[in-house]
Amino acid sequence: MGVALWLAAALLIATAGVPRADEVAPIAQIKKVTGQAAVLRSGERRPAKVGDVLLVKDVIETGPDGAIGITFIDNTVFSAGPSSQIALDEFRFDSSDFRGAMLADMRQGTLAVVSGDIARSTPGAMKVKTPTAILGVRGTTFAVQVYGDH
Amino acid sequence: MMWRTILTLGSMVLLVGCPRQALFAVLPNAEGGGVGAITVDDGKTVTALDQPYAAAESRADGTAPSAETRENIAVIFRSAIAAQPILPHHFRLYFILGSNELTPESKCAYSAVFDDIEQRPVYEIEVIGFTDTLGDLPYNQTLSLARAAAVRGTLVGDGLDRQAISIAGRGKRDLLVPTADQTPEPRNRRVEITVR
Repeated sequence: MGVALWLAAALLIATAGVPRADEVAPIAQIKKVTGQAAVLRSGERRPAKVGDVLLVKDVIETGPDGAIGITFIDNTVFSAGPSSQIALDEFRFDSSDFRGAMLADMRQGTLAVVSGDIARSTPGAMKVKTPTAILGVRGTTFAVQVYGDH
Repeated sequence: MMWRTILTLGSMVLLVGCPRQALFAVLPNAEGGGVGAITVDDGKTVTALDQPYAAAESRADGTAPSAETRENIAVIFRSAIAAQPILPHHFRLYFILGSNELTPESKCAYSAVFDDIEQRPVYEIEVIGFTDTLGDLPYNQTLSLARAAAVRGTLVGDGLDRQAISIAGRGKRDLLVPTADQTPEPRNRRVEITVR
């Protein structure tokens, strides 16, 4: 193994694997979009595109023919059907010990979830809020429908 | 009098036919994991659901088990489930003692990692390097990161986007197989790759 590689590796130690605590760090990536889907960020609505990253406090929305699939950095997977609105209210994750917390606000529509590292490593830390009840996640695959008429 | 009757009837209809406001369902675990489990807390009662297709529904007067059939649940969530991305996958590759070169078996296993990534329209890859307990902490920290960097180098060499690949080294702090210090253990000389 070359000296250069070792040097490069030593230099990388300073920058690699440091968990980012700041709230502007990406928390998820859009993996799949069908029909109309949008991301609401700081009051601005823009079309959802495959590959775009999501930040905490973003709201994902789908139109009457829309659907969207996203994967969080803790490997939780969300997929929403038509006429859905879901706010990513809270998200913290430390990739070195897999602990964290997550709160999604399901305002309307349909959502299927496969939970990831946060629910696995931190019991009680993953929650989905709906207008009528709070869902606590022990794992792993579940779905929520919230009717839009309230 | 007439009005009062209508109003009363109206409220009765509302109470009796309280519309469903939310439906919660456990789905069969994707890719054969354990049994799923959720709790639904409406502030008054906590309903636990821990069987596939177990469901609860909320109305203005509270939460109760739902009688929805599994066929109906599948229909209600069909679009949401169809929008599910390819799930994250995890891989382990192993290294020759003291080096950042993959074992011959892991050189073959590498193609499974690459094939998995190629199926995804967009991807993020995390490569974390580890070592066995031979040598001191700084040596193993450097070696573990060199292993992760070597795998990233191979992935980039095979055409993947460097920006989508993060690397980290954990040295000898996270053993897959617990051993005493200064113990050679092939299963600890590894990288763990998450593809999502």
